[in-house]
Amino acid sequence: MLIEIKDLKKSYSLGESEIPVIHGINLHIEKNEYVAIMGPSGSGKSTLMNILGCLDTASSGHYYLNDIDVSTLDDDALSLTRNREIGFIFQNFNLLPRLNAIQNVELPLIYAGVPGNERRERALKALERVGLSDRLHHKPSELSGGQRQRVAIARALATNPGILLADEPTGALDSKTGVEIMRLFDELHKEGNTIILITHEQEIADYAHRNIYLKDGMIHSDRPNQHRRELMSQ
Amino acid sequence: MQYGENIRLALQGLVDHKFRSFLTMLGIIFGVASVITMLSIGEGAKREAIAKYQDLGVNNIIIREKSLSDEELEEVRAKFSQGLSIQDANVILEIVPGVEKVASQAEKNTEVKFDDKSVKSTVIGITPDFLSLMNYTVQQGYFINEKHYNERLKVCVLGAGVAATFFKGEDPVGKLVKIDDQWLEVIGVLASKSLFTETVGELAARDLNRDVYVPLSLFLNRFTRENVLSSEIQQITVQINNSDKLIEASRIIDEILKRHHFNNDDYSIVIPYELLKQEEKERQIYNFLLGAIAAISLLVGGIGIMNIMLATVMERTREIGIRRSVGARKIDIMGQFVTESVAISITGGLIGVLIGIMLSLVVTLFTDITTFIKPYSVFIAFSFSVIVGVSFGYLPAKNAANLKPVDSIRYE
Repeated sequence: MLIEIKDLKKSYSLGESEIPVIHGINLHIEKNEYVAIMGPSGSGKSTLMNILGCLDTASSGHYYLNDIDVSTLDDDALSLTRNREIGFIFQNFNLLPRLNAIQNVELPLIYAGVPGNERRERALKALERVGLSDRLHHKPSELSGGQRQRVAIARALATNPGILLADEPTGALDSKTGVEIMRLFDELHKEGNTIILITHEQEIADYAHRNIYLKDGMIHSDRPNQHRRELMSQ
Repeated sequence: MQYGENIRLALQGLVDHKFRSFLTMLGIIFGVASVITMLSIGEGAKREAIAKYQDLGVNNIIIREKSLSDEELEEVRAKFSQGLSIQDANVILEIVPGVEKVASQAEKNTEVKFDDKSVKSTVIGITPDFLSLMNYTVQQGYFINEKHYNERLKVCVLGAGVAATFFKGEDPVGKLVKIDDQWLEVIGVLASKSLFTETVGELAARDLNRDVYVPLSLFLNRFTRENVLSSEIQQITVQINNSDKLIEASRIIDEILKRHHFNNDDYSIVIPYELLKQEEKERQIYNFLLGAIAAISLLVGGIGIMNIMLATVMERTREIGIRRSVGARKIDIMGQFVTESVAISITGGLIGVLIGIMLSLVVTLFTDITTFIKPYSVFIAFSFSVIVGVSFGYLPAKNAANLKPVDSIRYE
């Protein structure tokens, strides 16, 4: 099992008082699943994503990633896990503005300790995969929104992580570009990647095979996506 | 992560923000430049002093006639003192322990003539031992020897300045020069000596290159004294075999001379080595002060780096978050920022070294202060700047590393 979450709770302390955000979640995600996590703002979906991505740790409960209890890991081990197991794709792309496309994609490989030549090769391959072979030396400011998100996806793919974790990946894009990005996710899923999508838009969630609704820090519903087939046939 | 990446990143950062990097470096640049300049001025003064006292001989005690006014001179003579004499010199050689050699010298300021040229010079009557007592070297010909002395031969050795004025590249050896009413044959020329620009005790500042040396026996026999009451000789140079015994020997010499001069205070004793040590001590305090001022400017430079780096970390919170999210460990972030501040301080240090060297040259060129840059002073200033970079870069880097990834990735 790729991800197993048991009775996970998270609260933030604000002065004296504790503000609970996630009230105990149980969740299983298998390899090569395509899951959308949905919910209104304040439902705790961003917090859940941070925990799933090892950017943050839970207050209590357990999060097993590849059968390793993440809550027991120290900061260095969490960094290593982010590097090896997780590819982030953010709404606002989060590319480094001073680096060009290929350098941005190389970034996780640098921290993985991949030597220069191999690094370049793998970054090239990842950019090729997202269809940006002709934009290698452009800086983010010289790219369109869709192209920037493709660079970010290439960066997430570079280390061949177990999970692609996408946080509102089409939120900053127009609908046409958004559809293109979602097609790309679909292809990546078919190639064997596990994708977890965080979104508040039903349209986007419809691309996934499984929809999980969060409400007030709890799982409200968790079911296979019924609309998917219709959508794909269009 | 490879360290080469950090260095590449840091240099890239410097180039990306040229003006800001330069401003950040200014403190270090001035700090390093001032450390190097100040050390070079201190070292220059030290070398000048050593050269000066080496000319006088570090194992020598110099007994010099005091310059007295005519009335004082009459008073002293009335109290039976005959002033410095060859007999004083002989007594010192006989009695004082540890004395190797004694050289007497008589002096007279007069004009030396050759052809239609004349030079105001100090004519000095010396014994053949003189050359080995002082650190003088003969450049052309040879020096006055026993034969010249014993036979009172009419020969002379010229200082470099006198020789240059008279002969301008011609060979002076064998030529005749006229001193007072005497014709003397030039047998040698001394190598040029650094100017004696300061008065040391009774040793008045003068241009040593304008001296003319003649045998003392000839001097006493053929030249009239400046004044009927003048002493027989003006200076006795005593060489001691051990510099530790200089003070003890000088005390004994003082006792002897007091007795011979009937307690008249008409001579003074100069110990060049002691003066050198004393001067060095004074200079040490001065150098320490200069160094402290320079060190403070380096410190201020370091604080400047820290200030900018702290601001940089704030400004780059998002970048830190992104790096953390793709797998950078705390130590990677830390390394990146420390490397950046070290890169700033090393670059600043290198520029500072260049400016410091140039400043020292400018000081030497446009003032009469001698400077000397020791390689070790460059090394010290440079390594100090690296230490400043590491220590003042540490805190901002630690702040950067300790940012929570989850907060910094969403930082706007």
